[in-house]
Amino acid sequence: MSSYVASGFSRTKGNEEQTNHQGERARGVVRVTAVHMGVIAGILAVAAEAFFEVRPPEAYGVCMACHGRDLVNWTINTLAATALPVAPASLVYPLLTTIGVFAGGLIAARRHGEFRWVLPDHPAKTFLYGALVMNFALVAGGCAIRLTLRTAAGEPLGAAGFGAMAAGIVLGTRWLRWRATR
Amino acid sequence: MTAAVASLLVGLVLGYLGQRSRMCFVGGIRDFLLVRDTALLKGLAAFALSAWIAFPLARLVAGAARDAAGSVDAVTALLTVAGGFGVGYVSTLANGCPLRQHVLAAQGVTSAMTYLAGFFAGAVAFHVWVAPAVFRWLP
Repeated sequence: MSSYVASGFSRTKGNEEQTNHQGERARGVVRVTAVHMGVIAGILAVAAEAFFEVRPPEAYGVCMACHGRDLVNWTINTLAATALPVAPASLVYPLLTTIGVFAGGLIAARRHGEFRWVLPDHPAKTFLYGALVMNFALVAGGCAIRLTLRTAAGEPLGAAGFGAMAAGIVLGTRWLRWRATR
Repeated sequence: MTAAVASLLVGLVLGYLGQRSRMCFVGGIRDFLLVRDTALLKGLAAFALSAWIAFPLARLVAGAARDAAGSVDAVTALLTVAGGFGVGYVSTLANGCPLRQHVLAAQGVTSAMTYLAGFFAGAVAFHVWVAPAVFRWLP
């Protein structure tokens, strides 16, 4: 019985996937998987650093936290004549990765009809999470992306940070599961 | 100027692909632990692997010698590990890595927008209050 149900489920699922796939192909839409994104992001991150002066420091091609910090600090420095620190790569003009990602996401969401307003659950809590992630990332010298990039560049310290991040995710996930099943 | 334009274009591509693929650099490990879903984890592995292959190739083409890694002092190592742990833990609670939060905010999710407000305010707070306080207590 269970095998019958399982096979029936898989057949239904397969048909649905096929239909979706054909439907998307008919409209000329290419399905982007996480693997596609990962490969392209890896190549672009290295290329930005090696050929387009997104350095120093090393392995600085893509980082949401550091580039965001550079943009915010550079803007405040320019407007208010302060001396908040920025990375050497952002001394003259700031790195605009964060704006690019936001704009790219907006274009994709608009183009595929996936933009819709969702009201916040706990604004104070998410604000705090954002501030905490930025602070931890600046202490570690990179967000999730740059810690991975530093590891790939063969930097032992980056690998230590990546390992610690993985441990943090494991503990965070356990906490989420524990809270959900309590 | 080159770096600013290049980073904007790289960001555009990553934002577009990130929205289409729902990529998250923290969600891969979380999804694998929770529901044994490897889709995002494969993305993370693909990113690391392609960068690992691309680094020496780019060095070969660009001809730039890599700066030799300096000696690693214990304080920096400790800060990197502590910071890395915090990034992983809080990002999991916040439901996604910073890239995913940018994409979600671009999709109209207002809690991701408040996350970003905290994210950028946190950068200033770090350099004005947190870093001086931390470095005062460190050897």
